[in-house]
Amino acid sequence: MVRRAQAGDLPAFEQLHRENVRRVYALCFRLCGEASLAEELAQDAFVRAWQKLGSFRGESAFSSWLYTLTMNVALSERRSRRRRTSRIVATEDPSVFEKPGDTRRPEVGVDIERAMDVLPPGARTVFVLHDIEGYRHQEIAELTGVATGTSKAQLHRARRLLREVLSR
Amino acid sequence: MTCAEVDDRLDDYVDDTLAEAEFQELELHLAGCAVCREQERRLRSLLAQAAALPRELAPARDLWPGIRARLGRPGVLPFSRSFSGVGSWLPASLAAAAVVALAVAALVRTPGTAYGPSQVSAFPTGSSTEAAGVLKAERDYAQASAALLAALRERPERLSAETLAAIEKDLLVIDGALTQIREALAQDPSSGALNHLLASTHQRKLKVLQRVVKLSRI
Repeated sequence: MVRRAQAGDLPAFEQLHRENVRRVYALCFRLCGEASLAEELAQDAFVRAWQKLGSFRGESAFSSWLYTLTMNVALSERRSRRRRTSRIVATEDPSVFEKPGDTRRPEVGVDIERAMDVLPPGARTVFVLHDIEGYRHQEIAELTGVATGTSKAQLHRARRLLREVLSR
Repeated sequence: MTCAEVDDRLDDYVDDTLAEAEFQELELHLAGCAVCREQERRLRSLLAQAAALPRELAPARDLWPGIRARLGRPGVLPFSRSFSGVGSWLPASLAAAAVVALAVAALVRTPGTAYGPSQVSAFPTGSSTEAAGVLKAERDYAQASAALLAALRERPERLSAETLAAIEKDLLVIDGALTQIREALAQDPSSGALNHLLASTHQRKLKVLQRVVKLSRI
């Protein structure tokens, strides 16, 4: 299928898209936390994959290649968005996570996906890559362009905040 | 080790990246500190939830039409439509790696239930009447360790001298700790903390070996 797509076979590429889109979208959604932005990022990732398909040599599984490419697309978007805006999207204070009028019973707790919204972008990225996707700090450092120590510090911060939110 | 120091090192502890000496110190602290054990429990619970998240999510709409429209635009073409080496996509080493991975998985599961952190309590503890159970569990661990060591010896060329030296150093520390724990247990066979430490130290040894087998598999 990959070879056919590399030869310019669009139906073959559509099939690759069908097989991988849920995984690609999940990765984008968890990295950015917004459904509509995740859809855009997933589309960008597949367009980029089509453009770079010729560079795929089969040294790893196609899906692994595609997920790495997706991560680069999502992280690159985050970097450019950060440059465009100074909007604060996260906080160190988990109490702001309780929105006025939130009628959920505290003992029910919150879903981890929702709890991740409390994380600052850097901590969120490292938590997703390390604790959900299974990357090591060295790999995260290479992907995100930060030092390994920074990656570890961000993970510590993310886990602490999430424990606070989830233990309520 | 203080509670604050444990808090600083808890991530490395649950990620199994703590140096051996600190690992042992932290284990001792946890055995006697309910507050830190609760923090560990919460952290492991968080990690279990993260690991249990579905790997796939369906977007609310079909993304293909939007992608297809963009692929038709000028300039959006595959980078290259031909390249060499297509016929040799799957080198034999990948198949060999898969076999080794399966073998390792089988090896480490052989002894039964006492491997994951949550199953530490499966290691027999408590009264001297359970001594036979402890001995059997130790034998199981020893068999698994021996099998992994044998797997390593079969392909010494895969490991650098530096890596081998590091492994040997770690194993020496762990074996020394096991000896000390056994001596302490001989004095106090019903100590829950010592039995816990014995089980987790065996696990530690297995993890070191598993990691090395993984490192040397390709």
